[in-house]
Amino acid sequence: MNAIEVNHITKGYGKVKALDDVTFSVTRGEVFGLIGPDGSGKTTMYRILCSLLLPEAGTAMVDGFDVVKQMTEIRKRVGYMPGKFSLYQDLTVQENLEFFATLFGTTIDEGYDSIKAIYSQIERFRDRKAGALSGGMKQKLALSCALVHQPSVLFLDEPTTGVDPVSRKELWEMLAGLKQRGITILASTPYLDEVRRCEHVAFLDCGRIRGIGTPEQILIEFADIFNPSGIEHAKTADRIDENVIEVEHLVKAFGSFHAVDDISFSVKRGEIFGFLGANGAGKTTAMRMLTGLSQPTSGTGKVAGYDIRTQHEQIKKHIGYMSQKFSLYEDMTVAENIRLFAGIYGMKKEEVRGKMEALLRQLRFEDHANDLVGSLPLGWKQKLAFSVSIFHEPAIVFLDEPTGGVDPATRRQFWELIYEAASRGITVFVTTHYMDEAEYCDRISIMVDGKISAMGNPEELKQRFHQPDMDHVFTYLAREAKRGD
Amino acid sequence: MIKYLIQKEFIQIRRNGFLPRLILVFPIVIMCVMPWVMNQEVKNIRVDVVDNDRSSLSQQLVHSIEASNYFIFCGQKPTYQVALKDVETSRTDIILVIPPHYSRDLTNGRQPQVLIAANAVNGTKGSIGSAYLSQIVTANVAPTAIQSKVSALFLYNKHLNYKVFMIPALFGILLMLMTGFLPALNIVGEKEKGTIEQINVTPVPKWSFILAKLIPYWLIAIVLITICLLLSWLVYGITCQGNLLLVYLLAMFLALFFSSLGLIISNYSDTMQQAIFVMWFFVVCMLLLSGLFTPVRSMPHLAYLTTYINPMHYFIDAIRTVFVRGGSFHAITHQVLALLAIGSFMAAWAVQSYKKNS
Amino acid sequence: MKQFLSFVIKEARHILRDKRTMLILFVMPVVLMLIFGFAITNDVRNVRTVVVTSQMDPQTQAVINRLAASEYFTITTAVATPREAEQLIRSQKADMAVVFGQNFAARKSGVQFIVDGADPNMAQQWTNYATGIIAQSPQPIANSKLLYNPQMRSAYNFVPAIMGVLLMLVCAMMTSISIVREKEQGTMEVLLVSPVRPLMIIIAKVIPYLVLAFVILSTILFMARFVLDVPLQGSLLWIFVVSTIYILLALSLGLLISNIANSQLMALLLSAMVLLMPIVMLSGMLFPIESMPTILQWVSAIVPPRYYIAAMRKLMVMGVGITAVAREVTILSAMTLFLLAVSLKKFKTRLE
Repeated sequence: MNAIEVNHITKGYGKVKALDDVTFSVTRGEVFGLIGPDGSGKTTMYRILCSLLLPEAGTAMVDGFDVVKQMTEIRKRVGYMPGKFSLYQDLTVQENLEFFATLFGTTIDEGYDSIKAIYSQIERFRDRKAGALSGGMKQKLALSCALVHQPSVLFLDEPTTGVDPVSRKELWEMLAGLKQRGITILASTPYLDEVRRCEHVAFLDCGRIRGIGTPEQILIEFADIFNPSGIEHAKTADRIDENVIEVEHLVKAFGSFHAVDDISFSVKRGEIFGFLGANGAGKTTAMRMLTGLSQPTSGTGKVAGYDIRTQHEQIKKHIGYMSQKFSLYEDMTVAENIRLFAGIYGMKKEEVRGKMEALLRQLRFEDHANDLVGSLPLGWKQKLAFSVSIFHEPAIVFLDEPTGGVDPATRRQFWELIYEAASRGITVFVTTHYMDEAEYCDRISIMVDGKISAMGNPEELKQRFHQPDMDHVFTYLAREAKRGD
Repeated sequence: MIKYLIQKEFIQIRRNGFLPRLILVFPIVIMCVMPWVMNQEVKNIRVDVVDNDRSSLSQQLVHSIEASNYFIFCGQKPTYQVALKDVETSRTDIILVIPPHYSRDLTNGRQPQVLIAANAVNGTKGSIGSAYLSQIVTANVAPTAIQSKVSALFLYNKHLNYKVFMIPALFGILLMLMTGFLPALNIVGEKEKGTIEQINVTPVPKWSFILAKLIPYWLIAIVLITICLLLSWLVYGITCQGNLLLVYLLAMFLALFFSSLGLIISNYSDTMQQAIFVMWFFVVCMLLLSGLFTPVRSMPHLAYLTTYINPMHYFIDAIRTVFVRGGSFHAITHQVLALLAIGSFMAAWAVQSYKKNS
Repeated sequence: MKQFLSFVIKEARHILRDKRTMLILFVMPVVLMLIFGFAITNDVRNVRTVVVTSQMDPQTQAVINRLAASEYFTITTAVATPREAEQLIRSQKADMAVVFGQNFAARKSGVQFIVDGADPNMAQQWTNYATGIIAQSPQPIANSKLLYNPQMRSAYNFVPAIMGVLLMLVCAMMTSISIVREKEQGTMEVLLVSPVRPLMIIIAKVIPYLVLAFVILSTILFMARFVLDVPLQGSLLWIFVVSTIYILLALSLGLLISNIANSQLMALLLSAMVLLMPIVMLSGMLFPIESMPTILQWVSAIVPPRYYIAAMRKLMVMGVGITAVAREVTILSAMTLFLLAVSLKKFKTRLE
């Protein structure tokens, strides 16, 4: 018997068709991938299967029960982790987990083994409020909460967005363990290595199923979308040997906890500097000090020639920043957002007009200049946010996980934009959890436990640690982390 | 650059869909309904009469109560106890007990003792009601006594119309609600959405960010006051006795204070709920202690002292002087200066409490 | 049962963690009680009075002394013409003027009060008081007896009103926001998909607020009795019973708002503007209902606190039995049942 049967499901919101005649089935005990770009209808599908939404047409059965008529039965049997799973920010890690465990009729102790791999990494923060955790750690806690019980069917809507590579591997090992116990798993992900770990995948695009098959079949059939060719990055030879970022013995402490623990490095003008590290290693904290958002506890630093301690407002004139959370104004149009931020940096009106046209052409946004930003798909928003952050031609741009949750094709376009900016002499300081992106950087540093444990260009690092690619280098270094114990 | 920030605030208000309607409709509804509600005039007092005399003179007294438009005559009751039951179930408010031998005493030139028992849970209503009633009784008993040589001239509000008193105060309440609560939610909202972070890494000076948030509320205040003035003229025929510019000036200063207060609270709050609750708390206290409902000089000394730092008090005082009494700038200099001082202090605090670097 | 308990604990934690809101919730009743008990009063006191007379003879002086001796009036200054007095009133240096006629001493002319009529109630009261002092009328014919509140303390009137408003605020506003917040943050989805029955989610959400409401109710009653000296005449049991009905009503109203509102902002505005305004204005808390135009009296008939406040005034201050408030209690119960039924029926077990 199939664990999930979906027959001709259709669902629309107003005029927009979110799902259009979708049919697929999942056998019991299978790990099934539901993949597709942002806005393809994945979340709607999950909600229908969880009996949270009513389909307009078609039927769906989960674990032998109809999602329309047998709501109570379904809800007893499924586990669901929504894409924007949000925890109770004002409860501590432990309290969150306890609550969800009890909610699903189990206890932390009972479910501990099945979440140990991930929960152990955040366990020592168990008395910290969930709101104070970093983005990736929140996601890990959310995962622990969702997996603490063992339903017969598990729905995971992009569970690994913002999670570092090591933890992603651990999560999928956990899922494999669940599968052994006969739990059916339906998951979606933008990471190709995760897609490959599914037994079957369905590719959903604009509400329609474009193909169902084994991961390899789908990835080959739709290679243009999932596996775009790599980008050639012409290394600029004539780089001026001038440091735009210089940091020495930088420390940021919250109470007795040293989020950033004595780091020193420098970044040269025009470089693309990859700032890697596991969740909670201190990347965002370090970046906030460099961008003048927070004061260092000790140590010195200069960004664009200004002191991060005393001249933070000067620094802000010469940098661009794109935060983890999407942060353009969603209730304003594309053009209005560009004009606002250009105006803030004191750009001239005529200059803005000309540049904006060029930018919209480059992004192929000409027809969308007057669309509300909130109505754009995630990938577009990210590209737009990046373009806005370098619109005033800053010396340095800081990007905090700019491509989280974005599909491969869009990520590629994003990196084209980054290269283009770098070629104009803008220094790029970027954090990411995609190791293929790490390879695109001129130089990278890997942070572990608040310290920089390795720095150099990707080739050097691979050689130094005798690993085939950056993914392995990262895993090798991050597994050394002591904070996870 | 401040131009762009102001533009942004306006675009956001306009896009909200709900806010523009709120800004226009809310004052209209309030102005059309509240003056009728905010009426502490004592009228329609229900009276039970216990007539132990049952003479033509006592009947005459009952008739004059029936004729008065302050009172609604509820009927004769056999005993005081029965009437008291009526008070307890709130079927009546005042009991008038006419003693036996009322008419005999009167004709003999002795003074009969009439008892008025009023439900004084609401003290004002009880005391004013019994005062009215005793006037009627006195007029009945001694028609000449009342015509003493005392007369009263009520300035500014000859007909003692309660609306004249309350409408300028309503301006204050509306300003407080619209220019206080919306900014209180504003910065917290940006915090919750994460957009404030993006602003914080730009070189925007603190003061221009805050100023850009304040200016739209000034404009809202102007729109609001214009709507209010028009409605009070069209609906109630009540117009400003003094200089209209002074009304606008006062409104701007009050808006400065409340929007600064809103932004300060917003700066310190983490969630919208917190912001609203804290704002609500301050606003209610300020409102109650402002002299809007009750005269400040009747307050105990300690409470009276708080009015020195209560901008709402200065505003209410000044606007009534201008609007009702037709006072000139000279008459309200003191209040204007106080409002300006408190307003600027709060604006400075709002700038100071906005942290771009923590 | 265990699930239920952990739900209640979680909800209680949300409330307890938000220190600022908690502080406001407990400081608010105390401050309001103090303000209403002491500061808000319509007493005639410290009325700034100007004397207008052309000649200060002994008779005039005697009258002025009588006025000044009373606690009601403060003689600020003496001027020669009514015109000057009017100037003083206009610029808010005085509240009323007592104008003595040319031949006051000879008992030929009378006294005129020029009163700032901006506040009609107070203007009338001032005139009444001043007339009483000047006329020195002999024994009054009518004996007035002020029942239940002989000292005319405004606290007697306001304590029940504060209870009505605060309980509504805490229960309706806070429950609705806490439910909407779960919707907004996406945790509601998880709760709905869990095996817990929706009814249990609602009940568990409501219980901490119920407890909170009782704590606030007790604080108010305690303050009323021991700080403001408002006697609690009626039976405490009935006060609590009626309050419970009212609290349940407020909670169902909160639930209903949370069904309508999609964002916290909307829930806040709905409860603040659509709920709170009518409650304060039309419940008879500050402004007597019988002075309103008929149409608004009809509107006020559907405002629940009106009945609660009326019932509490009778039970607490007048000390009548439960039978005297039967009408109010019946209406409140009917409203509660209706709202509870609607809000439970409307509670969405699915998304839209």
